[in-house]
Amino acid sequence: RESFQPEPGEWKRFIYNPTSGEFLGRTAKSWGLILLFYLVFYGFLAALFTFTMWVMLQTLNDEVPKYRDQIPSPGLMVFPKPLSALEYTFSASDPSSYRGYIEDLRKFLKPYTLEEQKNLTVCPDGILSEQKGPVYVACQFPIFLLQACSGMSDPDFGYSQGSPCVLVKMNRIIGLKPEGTPRIECIPKDENVASISTYPNNGIIDLKYFPYYGKKLHVGYLQPLVAAQVIFSANSTKKEVTVECKIDGSPNLKNQDDRDKFLGRVAFKIIARA
Amino acid sequence: MAGGAHRGGGRWGAPHSPAPPGPRGCPVPLKAAAQSLCRKPTWGQYCTLLLFQRKLEIYSVEHHAATDIKKKEGRDGKKDNDLELKRNQQKEELKKELDLDVSLQFAFVLFVFQGLSSTRAAELLAQNGPNALTPPKQTPEIIKFLKQMVGGFSILLWVGAVLCWIAFGIQYVSNPSASLDSVYLGTVLAVVVILTGIFAYYQEAKSTNIMASFCKMIPQQAVVIRDSEKKVIPAEQLVVGDIVEIKGGDQIPADIRLLSAQGCKVDNSSLTGESEPQSRSSEFTHENPLETKNITFYSTTCQRVFRCTATGMVINTGDRTIIGRIASLASGVGNEKTPIAIEIEHFVHIVAGVAVSVGILFFIIAVCMKYHVLDAIIFLIAIIVANVPEGLLATVTVALSLTAKRMAKKNCLVKNLEAVETLGSTSIICSDKTGTLTQNRMTVAHLWFDNQIFVADTSEDNLNQGFDQSSGTWTSLSKIIALCNRAEFKPGQESVPIMKRVVVGDASETALLKFSEVILGDVMEIRKRNHKVVEIPFNSTNKFQLSIHQTEDPNDKRFLLVMKGAPERILEKCSTIMINGKEQPLDKSMAQAFHTAYMELGGLGERVLGFCHFYLPADEFPETYSFDSESMNFPTSNLCFVGLLSMIDPPRSTVPDAVTKCRSAGIKVIMVTGDHPITAKAIAKSVGIISANSETVEDIAKRCNIAVEQVNKRDAKAAVVTGMELKDMSPEQLDELLANYPEIVFARTSPQQKLIIVEGCQRQDAVVAVTGDGVNDSPALKKADIGVAMGITGSDAAKNAADMILLDDNFSSIVTGVEEGRLIFDNLKKTIAYTLTKNIAELCPFLIYIILGLPLPIGTITLLFIDLGTDIIPSIALAYEKAESDIMNRKPRHKKKDRLVNQQLAVYSYLHIGLMQALGAFLVYFTVYAQQGFRPTSLFHLRIAWDSDHLNDLEDNYGQEWTSYQRQYLEWTGYTAFFVGIMVQQIADLIIRKTRKNSIFKQGLFRNKVIWVGIASQIIVALLLSYGLGSITALNFTMLKAQYWFVAVPHAILIWVYDEMRKLFIRLYPGSWWDKNMYY
Repeated sequence: RESFQPEPGEWKRFIYNPTSGEFLGRTAKSWGLILLFYLVFYGFLAALFTFTMWVMLQTLNDEVPKYRDQIPSPGLMVFPKPLSALEYTFSASDPSSYRGYIEDLRKFLKPYTLEEQKNLTVCPDGILSEQKGPVYVACQFPIFLLQACSGMSDPDFGYSQGSPCVLVKMNRIIGLKPEGTPRIECIPKDENVASISTYPNNGIIDLKYFPYYGKKLHVGYLQPLVAAQVIFSANSTKKEVTVECKIDGSPNLKNQDDRDKFLGRVAFKIIARA
Repeated sequence: MAGGAHRGGGRWGAPHSPAPPGPRGCPVPLKAAAQSLCRKPTWGQYCTLLLFQRKLEIYSVEHHAATDIKKKEGRDGKKDNDLELKRNQQKEELKKELDLDVSLQFAFVLFVFQGLSSTRAAELLAQNGPNALTPPKQTPEIIKFLKQMVGGFSILLWVGAVLCWIAFGIQYVSNPSASLDSVYLGTVLAVVVILTGIFAYYQEAKSTNIMASFCKMIPQQAVVIRDSEKKVIPAEQLVVGDIVEIKGGDQIPADIRLLSAQGCKVDNSSLTGESEPQSRSSEFTHENPLETKNITFYSTTCQRVFRCTATGMVINTGDRTIIGRIASLASGVGNEKTPIAIEIEHFVHIVAGVAVSVGILFFIIAVCMKYHVLDAIIFLIAIIVANVPEGLLATVTVALSLTAKRMAKKNCLVKNLEAVETLGSTSIICSDKTGTLTQNRMTVAHLWFDNQIFVADTSEDNLNQGFDQSSGTWTSLSKIIALCNRAEFKPGQESVPIMKRVVVGDASETALLKFSEVILGDVMEIRKRNHKVVEIPFNSTNKFQLSIHQTEDPNDKRFLLVMKGAPERILEKCSTIMINGKEQPLDKSMAQAFHTAYMELGGLGERVLGFCHFYLPADEFPETYSFDSESMNFPTSNLCFVGLLSMIDPPRSTVPDAVTKCRSAGIKVIMVTGDHPITAKAIAKSVGIISANSETVEDIAKRCNIAVEQVNKRDAKAAVVTGMELKDMSPEQLDELLANYPEIVFARTSPQQKLIIVEGCQRQDAVVAVTGDGVNDSPALKKADIGVAMGITGSDAAKNAADMILLDDNFSSIVTGVEEGRLIFDNLKKTIAYTLTKNIAELCPFLIYIILGLPLPIGTITLLFIDLGTDIIPSIALAYEKAESDIMNRKPRHKKKDRLVNQQLAVYSYLHIGLMQALGAFLVYFTVYAQQGFRPTSLFHLRIAWDSDHLNDLEDNYGQEWTSYQRQYLEWTGYTAFFVGIMVQQIADLIIRKTRKNSIFKQGLFRNKVIWVGIASQIIVALLLSYGLGSITALNFTMLKAQYWFVAVPHAILIWVYDEMRKLFIRLYPGSWWDKNMYY
């Protein structure tokens, strides 16, 4: 088998062979040719790929994705987003522990302020606001609907009182038309530890915010929100609760899927330290 | 010998000392006495009879082999010192083994009648084991199985699996709810290794089984005298001391010292290579056991001679027989790796090297990019899995076994799957003459009468004897041929073609009998009509055979004396010669004509016989005359010479063609025979091993009328070398001989010299095929890169040592084997090229995932579904591809230069087609994402958000929000899309791999139907995975929209067009830069 293991000298000669002027088995001319070949070949491939991608992009519509079959039903998500998992840890006595949350909330609710909504339409309650275009209008979502969690009366969104607000929102899906009267229902795991208040009352999501027509067409669209305020019982020593929220009251919005734990529902945990 | 056991005092079979005391007919006390006399631990069983012992050293060429080894080691230098030591030890052992401790026993005649008692025989059998050669040590099945489990890429995948489990372990310790993905992956990898291992093992075992069933032969029987009775027992149960009876046609069941023998001849060819039968009798004639007449050896055959019977005593059984010892030498010859094994190893090294280095490179990059180390390990595993063609080795095994099956149909039975290809890379064939190149039967080739040479038909059926038969001389000659012949057809063969009938008699007589049967019709009937009154059989002193017959003509009361024999002897006895049916005085010119004819026929390497007859005058020899063969009371001189007839073992009719094919295929055919140089040369010329216009040094000397030494050796193309000359040659001289002469015949060689010749050829970097049948061939068969044993005439030992068995003993079968071997090499290239191509398409996703942070385009498990699902049948289908026309017109591949996987193949597969495939697959992937809302540009560096389980409102380009699971599902759809993209392009890849040079349209798109089965299987498997198993999440497949199946089609067409272009330029500009870089 010795023939298959080149001698050290052979390696050296392979790297540079002074007699034939070969470097790594090829002469300069050969290297030049091969590099030129690959330059041309890969240039051609790149151009070709770009072209096919361009053709593919031509099949797309700027306003609406071609297919929406992979997101038939919306997920639920909470806001603000904790750093890790869905666990809100804060201490009412330590403002720095929740400053991040309220800053996020303020930023998030900025478009919902009344000044920002001036140009939006006031839509009739309880019915879908279907539109034909070409201009699509967005419905107002008055921030006061969130009541105690609107940040208007309490700039700390209840965190300083130990009753934090968490916004629950339904994922935007283009063309989704909920049936019935969708509402978000939040239940604490242990009712002795805490109770939940939802705003707007009953966690109603009004149908007038549907359907959504997409980022490009539906300029200024405001996603309906539901705020959940966790109020710990005064007599409970444990200040830790898991809250489960889910969409209810609409037959076409699923809230139970074995694999997707966020399809029409969301669970989060509030840990209030002393 | 009667009445006593004798001690041989230095001569074999020359008893002179009295027996130990013991009453007649009562062997028991004798046994006791003998046992007390000589209690030898190892040979104790001999003691019953052992009264004479002698050590002998058989000179054998193995010594040459040993020195040869030493010389080679000298060159290898220091590092092989250990090896040398070991070899030296081995050599010593070898030599020791050759000091044959042949013990001869002489027993009472009484004992001869009684034989051993069955109890004693059973004891001896238990002590010494059965009388059979121990088959070579088989590798235990479990080792073979484990080898499959760790061979090739398996070790790499095991490492991957273990890394997966370790990664999970670490994850689990820090977070007990860690995802089980890496456990799945590890398990899947382990399962893949085990399954492919089991599969390869099963394939291998299956082909070995074919072999095993073939090797199981009808057990040999022996007639033995035991308990004073004749019994027929399996030869395996013979023990030392048994008295056996042998008759013509039997194989000698053990080493036997003959006690009585009548008219017996043995064929020692399996031992010495001499096919000339040697007579055997009970006389001691030589010190050397191989030469003495009173010993016959295991596995030699007793000639099928009329009324041959012999009785003898078994002196050695099983492995202790001389043949057993020589056979065991074969195990001392190392088993070289087959060329294809080396090629596959080379390929595995390349791929594993690429996999590991790319893996480690990206591991480092990943770590530098601040990935978690565990994630980096998972990437490493994924890269390795993507790079390793998991199914390929199993595919190669299947392809080889398919070829093995095809070869078996063409009478080449392959014992070792890898040997299938070895034949294809063969550059030198050392072929036997007898039986392989020739028909292995004497046939009348020429006749000389009426001062004229006639040619007889020597083809296999022999029926077309078109020479002029009108002459009166022929009438007389044919009568002599028919009458002066002791051979007879075995009865009951009337329906069998004449040439295939079994004859009792020696080779020449058989030839004459068949010859006359073909021409004259029923010879037995002719002999009946011409009643034989007396005969003198052929013997070596007379050198003639004579018989006297009554004639069939009722009016002619004369007796006819017919005689045949060595031509010069016959001529001596003649005073007249028959020309055109008339007797003429035998004058000087006629004698000269006779000599010319005799020399001419002899020069053809043929065995010449002279024929004469004489009508005894009726007055001197009346009908009632009583002839006596002892006193020879009839004239044996002044006879009438009728003619000459010459015989040869003619070449098989298919051989010249096969030799031509070999030559055009760049394979050198060397004839190695034990036969006479003249005969060997004649046969070599007639089959084309020495081509018509080439001359040996001797020929040139003769033509130019100069001394052999004066001839310029470079002028001679051919060489005929005898064993004697070979013995005196140094290895360097042999190398020179082998290198300088394209046409070589080795004659009068001993089978051991074959080993030297094989080694010489191997020093030329040649891949050597050797044919052989004798036990003594086994070391050479083993040494050869591919040993080819003869299925019909081959001994078990030869078959054991060989890699391949020719079921029909026909040389031309080797050529078909070569063709198949070359084809499979080409097709394996195609298979590997096909399989390697997609590795890039499988690898790129991970690299892009790591570097550019796209959502993972294809999962590791999905990859395995390509490697082990869609790609398996297509890659096997390439094994059915027909040759690209020129397969037998090119030189055999150089085993060190023409690699299975060369740079061009790897570069073209990886960097050309592979890259195109990757682009095509990415196109499908991007299409799926874009059409669902994620445009390509938004995907870059999306990985962290995309993979985050807690981010359940990831926004796409249209403002929609996706939960983690929805993204996951989209990712799986992406996997499926990427998978389908690769699959579709692999169809194009499969089609382009059908040829390496020719246009697909020349090869025929539909000629290989299996390719289409492969394509169908690809599509069906993909459809099943996408639509059938779409709901099984563990497999990560989803139902893909119908149109996505076609997205990669333009790329597939491009691959096809590009490859056609490549082939076109290769054909248009052979030898160009393009050809050099693009032809794999």
